Amino acid sequence: MTPNYAVRTVAIVTLGFLILPVIIVIPMSFSSASSMSFPPPGLSLRWYSSFFGSSVWVSATITSAVLALISSTLGLLLGSMASYGLCRRRIMQRGIIESNFMAPMILPTIITAVALYIAFAKIGLLGTLIGLVMAHTILLVPYVMVVMNVAFRSFDLRQEQVSWTMGASWYTTMRRVVLPQLGPNLFAAWVFAFVHSFDEVVVTSFIAGTYNTVPKQMFSELILEISPTITAVATLLIAFTVASLAGATLIMKRSVQTV
Amino acid sequence: MSDIRLSKIRKDYGIFTAVADVDLHVVNGEFLTILGPSGSGKTTLLALIAGLSGPTGGQMHIGSQDVTYTPPQGRNIGLVFQSYALFPHMTVAENVAFPLEVRKWSRSKKDEAVGRVLQMMQLGALSSRKPSQLSGGQQQRVALARAIVFQPNILLLDEPLGALDKKLREELQVELKQLQRRLGITTLLVTHDQEEALSMGDRVMILNEGKVQQIATPEIAYLQPANRFVAEFLGTANIVSVSDGSSRKGILRPERLLLRTSAGTNKGVATVVSDLVYLGQTVRYYLSAADGTSFIAVRPFVGPKFALGSAVNVSWTEEDVWPID
Repeated sequence: MTPNYAVRTVAIVTLGFLILPVIIVIPMSFSSASSMSFPPPGLSLRWYSSFFGSSVWVSATITSAVLALISSTLGLLLGSMASYGLCRRRIMQRGIIESNFMAPMILPTIITAVALYIAFAKIGLLGTLIGLVMAHTILLVPYVMVVMNVAFRSFDLRQEQVSWTMGASWYTTMRRVVLPQLGPNLFAAWVFAFVHSFDEVVVTSFIAGTYNTVPKQMFSELILEISPTITAVATLLIAFTVASLAGATLIMKRSVQTV
Repeated sequence: MSDIRLSKIRKDYGIFTAVADVDLHVVNGEFLTILGPSGSGKTTLLALIAGLSGPTGGQMHIGSQDVTYTPPQGRNIGLVFQSYALFPHMTVAENVAFPLEVRKWSRSKKDEAVGRVLQMMQLGALSSRKPSQLSGGQQQRVALARAIVFQPNILLLDEPLGALDKKLREELQVELKQLQRRLGITTLLVTHDQEEALSMGDRVMILNEGKVQQIATPEIAYLQPANRFVAEFLGTANIVSVSDGSSRKGILRPERLLLRTSAGTNKGVATVVSDLVYLGQTVRYYLSAADGTSFIAVRPFVGPKFALGSAVNVSWTEEDVWPID
């Protein structure tokens, strides 16, 4: 075997290993059997109707969506501003400041979860929506920054400088010159943040109290009993994630072509 | 329209001094070129005048206004970068209208000014194009139109023709100079191209390592350079001894050397043609004397020629030697 074939084989096997467990959930969710089984004995949509008919699942979905919407929007706002400031200003100790913002992405999530649990317990934010939004925002900021750092660094500072000399304030320059060109990047950053929030389970489990999000509900269900409803939820989540990320990628690609 | 006055302007980055105590007075309507090698501080100086960077010392006036610490928005200056920095998401007309919108000009006044400037820059037919659909020369014109449409007090140009090929650059040099005369706007142009600096400026300021070497008309700077750096940066300079009994050196421009075949004369220094280059209208001779000194001479293409290896006597008149150091 040539090295080329070896590399290819390893790549395909790895990809299969990563993707098969995800893919296998999809046919299982359309199964007519009353317990999880593969291959499915027949096709039906009973687990989807069980999902949409369950008030627990529907309310968890609504909580997840509201939480993801608010925290990804806040994360986008704060993360973009942090990214712009770190890219454009000469700041002392910017390495330390930047690592501080990125920490939630790099630290083991369980550490952030415990830290937030202790801090929120002290100030009475445990089990509140505000607490959840704050925690998710902290977790999402680094994802936004990763996308926006690239965008701001590759953005020609001279466009901003020329705009200033022509009399435009910093704010007008952002609104009229910078942001219209970075729309696709902002959208992509927002989608990454939204998906990540929708997917988050560790920190949420620690601080959510009685609030139930989709992943948290999945986790609790798995502990109690293994219902095939979960395969329907998983399939919906996969479809949602793939569609969002594909949409974001497509928009980013198109923006590169037009500029 | 305003004059610009800098006194002891400096910019330090830690221990590195980018601009060292620059004194400069650009009079109203003047075209000043700022010439220097890369790293000489010329772009930093322009950024200081534009207000994009704050000085660490000194004072700066535009007209009667002290602008030393004024942000760029408050200086009323037009700025053109080498990369043009056009807004790619706006059309040509939108780009040019941008400074007027920011200034809240009325719609009719704005449309009239944009139309006039676009026509003046021969961009009328391109007004609804996006910058990416324009050639380099057209983009350069849009950048210039956008910089002058709001009638700024001064115009700052940072290597505005540097990205264009030689022929187009020479055309636009003439156009730019004519435009500047017509508008009568005080203009500073930064360049590293000595021909551009000499041909465009009413005066040239030569910078090296953040320090002003000379501020003079192109003719004076070329013929009477303040020091060896200026002499050599503004073209070829032969270094010869000054015959006033001192040990001083002087410079001689290559077109000032007189060449004769050695057979007919014993005047001047006997040399051999070690190399020659045809440059079209002129021929450039590299001459070596027996004692190791060398000369570079430029002669018109028409007239006597000297072959490679032939013996040539080099002479000059003492008035053409400009003492330096």
